[in-house]
Amino acid sequence: MVRAVLKGLLAHKLRLFLTAMAVVLGVSFVAGTFVLTDTINKTFDTLFDEISAGTDVTVRAASGFGQGASTETARDTVPASLLEVVRRVPGVAAADGSVGGYAQFVDEAGKAVTTTGAPTLGFNWTQPGLSPLTLRSGREPQRAGEVVVDAVTAKAHKFAVGDKVKVLFRGPTEEFTVVGITGFGEADNLAGATLAIFDVNTAQRVFAKVGRFDSIDAKATEGISALALRDRVAGVVPAGVEVVTSQQVADEGADSVQQALGFFSTALLVFAGISLFVGGFIILNTFSILVAQRTRELALLRALGASRRQVLWSVVGEAFIVGLFASLVGLGLGILVALGLKALLAAFGIDLPASGLVIQPRTIIASLVVGVGVTVLSSISPARRASKIPPMAALRGGGVEQGGSLRRRSIAGAVVTALGGAALLRGLFGGGISLVGLGAALVFVGVALLSPLAAVPMARVIGAPFPRIAGMSGKLGRQNAMRNPRRTAATAAALTVGLGLVACVSVLAASIKSSAADVVDKYLAADFIISTSNFMPNISTDLAPRLARQPELAAVSALQTGEWRAQGATRGLFAGDPATLGQVLKLDVTAGDAGGLARGEVLVGEEELNDKKLAVGGTLAMTFARTGTKDLRIAGTFAENQLLGDYLVSTATFDANFTDRLDFAVLAKSRAGVSPADARTAVERVTADFPNVELRDQAEFKQQQEDQVNQILGLISALLALSIIIALFGIVNTLALSILERTRELGLLRAVGMSRRQVRSMIRGESVIIAVLGAILGLAVGVLFGYAIVGALDDEGIGKVVIPGGQLIAYVVLAGVAGVIAAVFPARRAARLDVLAAISHE
Amino acid sequence: MSNGTPAARGTNLVKVYGEGDAAVRALDGISVEFAAGQFSAIMGPSGSGKSTLMHCMAGLDTITSGQVYVGDVELSTLNDKELTRLRRDRIGFIFQAYNLVPTLTAAENITLPMDIAGREPDKAWVDRLIDTVGLRPRLSHRPSELSGGQQQRVAAARALASRPGIVFADEPTGNLDSRASAEVLGFLRTSVREFDQTVVMVTHDPSAASYAERVVFLADGRIVDEMTEPTAEKVLDRMKGLGD
Ligand SMILES: Nc1ncnc2c1ncn2[C@@H]1O[C@H](COP(=O)(O)OP(=O)(O)OP(=O)(O)O)[C@@H](O)[C@H]1O
Ligand SMILES: [Mg+2]
Repeated sequence: MVRAVLKGLLAHKLRLFLTAMAVVLGVSFVAGTFVLTDTINKTFDTLFDEISAGTDVTVRAASGFGQGASTETARDTVPASLLEVVRRVPGVAAADGSVGGYAQFVDEAGKAVTTTGAPTLGFNWTQPGLSPLTLRSGREPQRAGEVVVDAVTAKAHKFAVGDKVKVLFRGPTEEFTVVGITGFGEADNLAGATLAIFDVNTAQRVFAKVGRFDSIDAKATEGISALALRDRVAGVVPAGVEVVTSQQVADEGADSVQQALGFFSTALLVFAGISLFVGGFIILNTFSILVAQRTRELALLRALGASRRQVLWSVVGEAFIVGLFASLVGLGLGILVALGLKALLAAFGIDLPASGLVIQPRTIIASLVVGVGVTVLSSISPARRASKIPPMAALRGGGVEQGGSLRRRSIAGAVVTALGGAALLRGLFGGGISLVGLGAALVFVGVALLSPLAAVPMARVIGAPFPRIAGMSGKLGRQNAMRNPRRTAATAAALTVGLGLVACVSVLAASIKSSAADVVDKYLAADFIISTSNFMPNISTDLAPRLARQPELAAVSALQTGEWRAQGATRGLFAGDPATLGQVLKLDVTAGDAGGLARGEVLVGEEELNDKKLAVGGTLAMTFARTGTKDLRIAGTFAENQLLGDYLVSTATFDANFTDRLDFAVLAKSRAGVSPADARTAVERVTADFPNVELRDQAEFKQQQEDQVNQILGLISALLALSIIIALFGIVNTLALSILERTRELGLLRAVGMSRRQVRSMIRGESVIIAVLGAILGLAVGVLFGYAIVGALDDEGIGKVVIPGGQLIAYVVLAGVAGVIAAVFPARRAARLDVLAAISHE
Repeated sequence: MSNGTPAARGTNLVKVYGEGDAAVRALDGISVEFAAGQFSAIMGPSGSGKSTLMHCMAGLDTITSGQVYVGDVELSTLNDKELTRLRRDRIGFIFQAYNLVPTLTAAENITLPMDIAGREPDKAWVDRLIDTVGLRPRLSHRPSELSGGQQQRVAAARALASRPGIVFADEPTGNLDSRASAEVLGFLRTSVREFDQTVVMVTHDPSAASYAERVVFLADGRIVDEMTEPTAEKVLDRMKGLGD
């Protein structure tokens, strides 16, 4: 039996290839994701190890968030005088303090040098041996006005030793002379971050930490372990300061990056999962067709004495081999995918230190298990059908269409759809994201089960214009799409999944966009919004006060955001200037007194107050990383404001509890009677000195919000494109198999005078109908999903569902075009059939 | 298409399959004419080259050497597109089985070649064929709802529907019982006698051959005999001589 399976597979290499393709792409996505994230994780492990390679212990302020809090979280500083104390500890060979913060270069064109997500860092030059910096040219910074630049930034912006360069800080912009170019260990920079290195006094001054260090690093003398040194140093530091091994600092750093990456990797795996789900549909459909086509052969086997079990296993065995083959190819392809993504990162300026791709056994096992699993599972139902073929079927001739009643299938479909819908809603309204995923998957399975019912009428309607456009070939194409509703429906179902999700995301995006515009009207009073391009909190605290001095402006308020904790959960807060906040935002205080803000109290969103069972006049225990737990009085409540979140404090309160304040946005309202143009000129007068900020009026701000949503929509659609491509392979596969099955008929048509061109047009027609059918079903499901999700997001302020009609129609048209493309290969094959051979085909 | 030019003719037809030792001379120098308005039969033992001759004459297959004319067109001068058009407009086909497109009704199958060409069928002519072949009540049925005999009658009507210059039929009654055969053959004879059509039919069956006006006997890729005014007995006798 095994040999028969293998022989059969090898005899149909093309079929094997097409079937496997569905799984290959999904598996390559899975493998690529694992390889990439493992590689990046390893890279960061190495990187953070390198950062701390020269040191053994680190002295730093304790975090209010407790041990193990990530280095990202801002801590308090330690007094610089502590350095001498540490240096005097026996066993300390060398120690130095470091101090750093936000520092962004301005390029030759006067624009801020930006990164793709990585920070723009500045810090001080520390003693050689303690620092991972490796000078490439020039010398270290020694006095005020000198800076050392990382090699990547220097190269990209042609900064050379001796050049003057401007640097943006929290405070005023300053000019420096480049005195050196540095690498970071082996790499040219620190994983994409830009580096500005100053002498220690300059660093302390520009980062507003005069007389302070962020941390002190110490190296042990020969023979003393890091742990021993840690304990010795711990004995001399004051309360509120902690001493940890540098290894621990490195691990914390790597952990925090890996946590951030974890989300990224989960997201990619979700899309890989969708692709595999779609692949499963195609495998199922392919095996169903194969079993139908081989009815006679299988019946003959049964007649010759093969048991049901043997027939079943022959089909499952074939699936196993296809799955194994596909998984191995997918694994190989996945490594290429990872390499491609890595090259892409490099192209974006994220220079990962050279380290080979990491292929963990987990990657290989997961790829194989998932690939083989999906294939084998998908083959079980066709295999069972194959095993039920009676030996008598060998005697009956002709192509056997799949039997079984559509009614049972439809009832099952309705039940599955209903269950899926229920799970989806349950998940959306509090049940959790995995329930949403399960529900969506069930709905798609249910719709696939139901769709044969709709296939014939829908194909009739979709194909209605075909006879007029393409005459007889159009008519035959349409009828071919209708002749086997299960096959048409199952092939279309694969596309339904991808397009359903795209449609759902489109509906969401359209709804979010429309609500975002509403949010601006409803909650924003300012005429101008100033932010950085990527909404990083990187606006100099100098900007808002200077803006406030412009006579054309009535009110200016800077906004800050920060994180705090309560009961182990991290929450966000906003801060602003109590004097002006109410003029730039529509802040509707519903209870208590907003004046409390200025007294260091907190305002809580009305709903949040009720949710958390808080009370106006009561206290809220807020834990800050820098200052630990503080009890803040609840001054009052405010009506929901999408721009403000749930907790609001004053900028003074923020400064008291967070380090390194940088503004997240600055809002400005022009004085009555000042023309918008004059007001804008006034604002631009100030912002011109801050190259990293962007200025928008309300309309531009709305547009920007829209652009951002579009960007995310584009990204998600691109990731879903893979599953759509897989679905198109499914159409190719079905058509190719159908053509094989209809060889005789094609021969006949060619004999009685159908041209090759007409044959191609006939196949194309069938393909377009299948694709459009799948698309329309997908859009229907997607729009319903969109309704459900928007309904669930009601609390988040997405009020009404917006159906992007034009976009959805465009998707259907695109699906039709995709159908034409999917038909190219099968159509060519069909047109090339040798007429005589086809006529005498068994 | 009447007197003078034959409906189809072949001169010195040679068809070799394969190469070297494995080469088979399926047609070994055949010259033959099929006069317009005549019902001809081709007979011969299995493997004698009947189907090959028919396929080559009908432009479904290419010959190794020699010339084939359909009407006054020499087939070797035509490219694939022109051959396809020739088959569509000037030749009718009836095969032994699987003659019909399963998704089309009987009526649609009958007008298929014209529909492919995008031409309006000659309604009066098609109606006449349908009535002659006795398919009026079955027109809206699909092939799977028709008996084998009915299917072959639909195929015969289809072959004649575009008034082709010649109809080639390869064992059109090979799968039918004698009654169904008689219906198909009677229809072909009527179409030749009364409607002035030209039919060339390959058959194994002497009584089928007796419907024709002329029988050509093949053996080993050559024409070995001809007979006009055949009867079943005469044909049977001749066939015995060929050792079929
Ligand atoms: N495609 C082919 N390749 C090789 N040889 C072929 C091919 N087609 C036919 N032949 C050979 O050519 C010869 C004539 O075949 P043909 O089909 O014309 O015979 P036939 O007279 O129609 O026989 P039958 O009565 O069995 O249908 C046979 O020897 C056959 O084996
Ligand atoms: Mg033959």
